[in-house]
Amino acid sequence: MTNTRDKVWLKTLLVALALALVGAACADASSDTDSGGGGGDSEALSGEVVVSGSSTVEPISVAVGEKFIAENPEVAVKIDGPGTSDGFELFCDGQTDISDASRPIDPEEVEVCEKNGIEFIELKVAIDGLSVITSVNNSEVDCLDFHDLYALLGPESEGFESWSDADDLAEEIGAGHAPYPDVPLDVTAPGEESGTFDSFGEIVMEDIAYEERKIKEDDPVIRPDYQASANDNVIIEGISGSDTSLGWVGYAFYQSNDETVKALPIAEEGDDCVEPNPETISSGDYPIARDLFIYVKTESADRPEVQAFVDLYLSEEGIASVSEVGYVDLATEDLEETRGVWESQETGSREG
Amino acid sequence: MAIAAKGPRTSDVVAQQLRGRSTDVKGIIFQAALLFALLLSLLILLVLIADVARGGLGVFQERGGEFLRGRLTVVSPTTAGVGQGIVGSLLLLIFVVLMAFPVGVAAAIYLEEYASDTRFNRFIDVNIRNLAGVPSIVYGLLGLVIFVQVLAPLTGGKTVMAGGLTLAILVLPIVIITSMEALRAVPDSIREAGFGVGATRWEVIRSHVLPAAAPGILTGTVLSISRAIGETAPLLVVGATTGLLATGGRGFFESFREGYTALPVVVFRWTSLPNEDFRALTSAAIIVLLIMTLSANAIAIILRNRYERKW
Repeated sequence: MTNTRDKVWLKTLLVALALALVGAACADASSDTDSGGGGGDSEALSGEVVVSGSSTVEPISVAVGEKFIAENPEVAVKIDGPGTSDGFELFCDGQTDISDASRPIDPEEVEVCEKNGIEFIELKVAIDGLSVITSVNNSEVDCLDFHDLYALLGPESEGFESWSDADDLAEEIGAGHAPYPDVPLDVTAPGEESGTFDSFGEIVMEDIAYEERKIKEDDPVIRPDYQASANDNVIIEGISGSDTSLGWVGYAFYQSNDETVKALPIAEEGDDCVEPNPETISSGDYPIARDLFIYVKTESADRPEVQAFVDLYLSEEGIASVSEVGYVDLATEDLEETRGVWESQETGSREG
Repeated sequence: MAIAAKGPRTSDVVAQQLRGRSTDVKGIIFQAALLFALLLSLLILLVLIADVARGGLGVFQERGGEFLRGRLTVVSPTTAGVGQGIVGSLLLLIFVVLMAFPVGVAAAIYLEEYASDTRFNRFIDVNIRNLAGVPSIVYGLLGLVIFVQVLAPLTGGKTVMAGGLTLAILVLPIVIITSMEALRAVPDSIREAGFGVGATRWEVIRSHVLPAAAPGILTGTVLSISRAIGETAPLLVVGATTGLLATGGRGFFESFREGYTALPVVVFRWTSLPNEDFRALTSAAIIVLLIMTLSANAIAIILRNRYERKW
């Protein structure tokens, strides 16, 4: 009796383990059959494509990736989005074939790449507008320029709890839309780790802070005292939660939440306020926009599967993914330029 | 007796008579406060579950099994599913079971049955308890250095194997501690009886102590599985894929050295997407994750009740 009893628990453990293995194997098989079906090409590609980098660009790459695996079921594709900087770290270490980026590669990163013998082709694929947002119930403000944004969100605005607290500063720097209403200023925006935070500071704040206000170079250009979140949906919640809120997100997030938040028209200077929409962002009329890139490792570009992936990315079918996932298409001549760069396999960064 | 069962508790009656007629106001307030604490925590849990169910049940009605098989994606909510997440989580668990259980139980047996009560052994004991309280992200960083970078030739970098081994290390202290408690609960008389009829230490452990401690060990280890199922932070550090994953038709065992994703990672990624349709999918994925965790807990309870012995 004791003998059987001894073995029972061991058997139970083994059975549980076996079940887990079988379950995993079955589910694995079924998910693989999903990717099959396509494959009209005569020569089937194999190998793998590893993509990492910006979480902003990730959806575009994933949309292209879905189209790619439908046609090439034999290729292993892995795409993730830890962030632009993390992406370049992996890329310059030779761990990835393609790096998504929501800003151009910076000189320090180029240096690391060079040291490790990694050459790359820089391809501009889309534009992302940054929307300055407030609650739909906010009727007090209908236009802001860069100096207004500096007065309300810049480094010297630390401690401002009401919009009107910024009046004096706004007058001093010549902001176009002061005085502001005497209502609470509730700021919710991306945190420092985010590329959206960097881009907003670079495009809107840096010139005013460093040139006009003589803030020490490399000091922060955005006030530190606000509700920061890495999750854009949390920012949308925060903005819609207060009638007199202020913040910024990528255009795609504004677009899918336009019943709860509204985008303020923005002017670089004065009163030529422009609303963010695909036309104004693409034409460059809307002043807060950034380019989105993919960086392809030259060595990987010689592999047929990576080549096919980038070919698809830049084709009509592939580049349509940009607007499908909520970003703004490049102007036609910019797209042609990108295709030209890819065709001639021109290496190095052409940005700043 | 029947009267005692229906009326007030005997202890209450005795307390009342000893104290006289005055009602115990403080006691009533205290009881109310305790009840309030219980109701509050239940309410919060209920609100959470109701919220998730409201958002996610629609997905199961509409898509059913197709959602359970669908692939990881961040762009098309109509085809997105948790199939790869479930597979990834199960693959990770295989490594947890294969690594953490044997090593953890063996370590516990050594510490409880063999190690003498020296200062050094007490030091080890205390430190294992401390390790169980170390934040999971720290284990993630440890896994990144050891399994992803140093052992890359074996694990292949950011693969299921690296992720699974990281989770195994994460739950190892919990397995050791619960197994030690279970072994300690076996009365010494059992061991003495074994030694008394001339059994060696190993024979006593194998045929008497371990079977007696099995329900406790199993409960602890299964609970550590449910901990491992829910972990997100360390997996993000050791490189679970968040965007798109295609294995290119590779086989089951080859997939150990491939990229992977896991259910909690899928939930994490989907909450930060702009497309509103993904919110319902997130809720649905949370339901799947809850079911997996609760089944692991249920297995633990069933095993404990099935094999429990009274001394």
